Amino acid sequence: MTKSSKTLFVDTATKSVFLALVVDGVLSDQVCREGVNNHSVTILPLLDDLLKRQNLTLKDLTDIVVGIGPGSYTGVRIGVSIAKMIGYLNGIPIRTVSSLALLASSALSGTVVPFIDARRENAFMACFEIQDGVMVRKFDDVLANVEAFKARLSQPYRIVAAGTPDVLKILRSDLLTPVPDIHALVPNYLQVTEAEHNKQAAA
Amino acid sequence: MYVLGVESSCDETSVAVVKDGREVLSNVVLSQIDIHQAYGGVVPEIASREHVKGVSMVFDQAIRQAGLRYEDIGLVAVTNGPGLIGSLLIGVNAAKVVAMNYGIPLLGVHHIAGHIYANNLERPIEFPCLALVVSGGHTELDLMNGHFDFVKLGETQDDAVGEAYDKVGRVLELPYPGGPVVDKLSALGKDVYHFPRPMVDSPDYNFSFSGLKSHVINLHHNMTQRNETIVKEDFCRSFQDAVTDVLCQKTKRAAKEYGVKQVIVAGGVAANRGLRAKMAQTITDVPVYFPAMRYCTDNAAMIAAAGYFKYMKTGVADDLYLNGDSRLALN
Repeated sequence: MTKSSKTLFVDTATKSVFLALVVDGVLSDQVCREGVNNHSVTILPLLDDLLKRQNLTLKDLTDIVVGIGPGSYTGVRIGVSIAKMIGYLNGIPIRTVSSLALLASSALSGTVVPFIDARRENAFMACFEIQDGVMVRKFDDVLANVEAFKARLSQPYRIVAAGTPDVLKILRSDLLTPVPDIHALVPNYLQVTEAEHNKQAAA
Repeated sequence: MYVLGVESSCDETSVAVVKDGREVLSNVVLSQIDIHQAYGGVVPEIASREHVKGVSMVFDQAIRQAGLRYEDIGLVAVTNGPGLIGSLLIGVNAAKVVAMNYGIPLLGVHHIAGHIYANNLERPIEFPCLALVVSGGHTELDLMNGHFDFVKLGETQDDAVGEAYDKVGRVLELPYPGGPVVDKLSALGKDVYHFPRPMVDSPDYNFSFSGLKSHVINLHHNMTQRNETIVKEDFCRSFQDAVTDVLCQKTKRAAKEYGVKQVIVAGGVAANRGLRAKMAQTITDVPVYFPAMRYCTDNAAMIAAAGYFKYMKTGVADDLYLNGDSRLALN
């Protein structure tokens, strides 16, 4: 008998904690809960509840897909840290996906611009085309001025700032990247820290 | 009982395995000091990024060096505050995953309690005990009447001792962190400036180092303006004598007032040789203990030791809702 696959999805780069479990290609459970700077408090209890509902433990998982940002720095670190630890402790592989792709996957079809506010008129954005349940990337993830980014888009688009990711759409796409060394996995922040930026500017 | 300790409150990612609160089987410390050196101090966002990068590797090294499996661990003890919140959250969440993965009890431990219990790794603490905690983030006197029974007698009203050291080091253009360098240069200098001893005679057990720090900085500035020769060794010695006089005098008075059996010094500044020497000269009627040098700075062995005694005393574990708290109180 082949071992069935049990894939855990984790993303914490947006205002919501997102967890999903896909068993043998079927979405068996998910939770997408908006929080107020408290992903660190809620994520493991939510994961514990989800696994208990499915009569599973962390040791039953076969692989992990983690949103690696861009998005909230503190937020994305929580999801990535947890994914690293689960992957390492159980010796299971991790694949990464853009947190913006996860956000965009919540849309049914059309040209989709996922949007995570980064203050000062900037946002983390990208652009995807979704047709017949197939999702293709049009623009890379960027941290950009919102109006400047919009000016680059020639066709009608929809901005998606919240929504429950469609993990099956993600699994069907080519937007997943295997992680060769779990210990070396870090979030995709899309920009250096302010301190590093200032240092580089001064140099 | 084997306790897995986890510490990530500032710029060190550390995981340790300690048996029965005393015997250190492993204590892996991934220090970021070389990275922050370029900025003259800890940059919180960089610290958080480094913690994520190193976290799982440090766990792996700690459990391997201990020669154990996670199934052998009886308690996961993690620093849940105080400290840099972004840093704390990495250790807390990583610890939660280990606890959840193996069904091990989880316990949040106060960072200062950890520093105090670093002393227990050398010899059992005897009560009542007076603890002077001196580090880059803390300066306080705590009375302990038993395990995990802390009464704060006083604390700094402004800068922590280590913070003042680092700022004086920066003014003197010494490499970061300035504390150990100031200590080293002090040994070669004389107290020629007789800086004020802030609050040395105040009836309470509080401290203040911000005024002293400004005094040192102002004098340095004025002398530079007048093109006077600055003897760094003398500056360091004068500053260090002022600081250690206050720390030693207040500690001595508290030790007498509360009739303690021993005095323990904890935290990064406990590594300061000038403080070690003066404390031993000042307090002669009860023993004064310092942790081994390697347990003075942030490490997870001290958190594991403190976690063990906290768990033995209360028997109560935390649940998966445990959070980091940058301003967590000791009691």
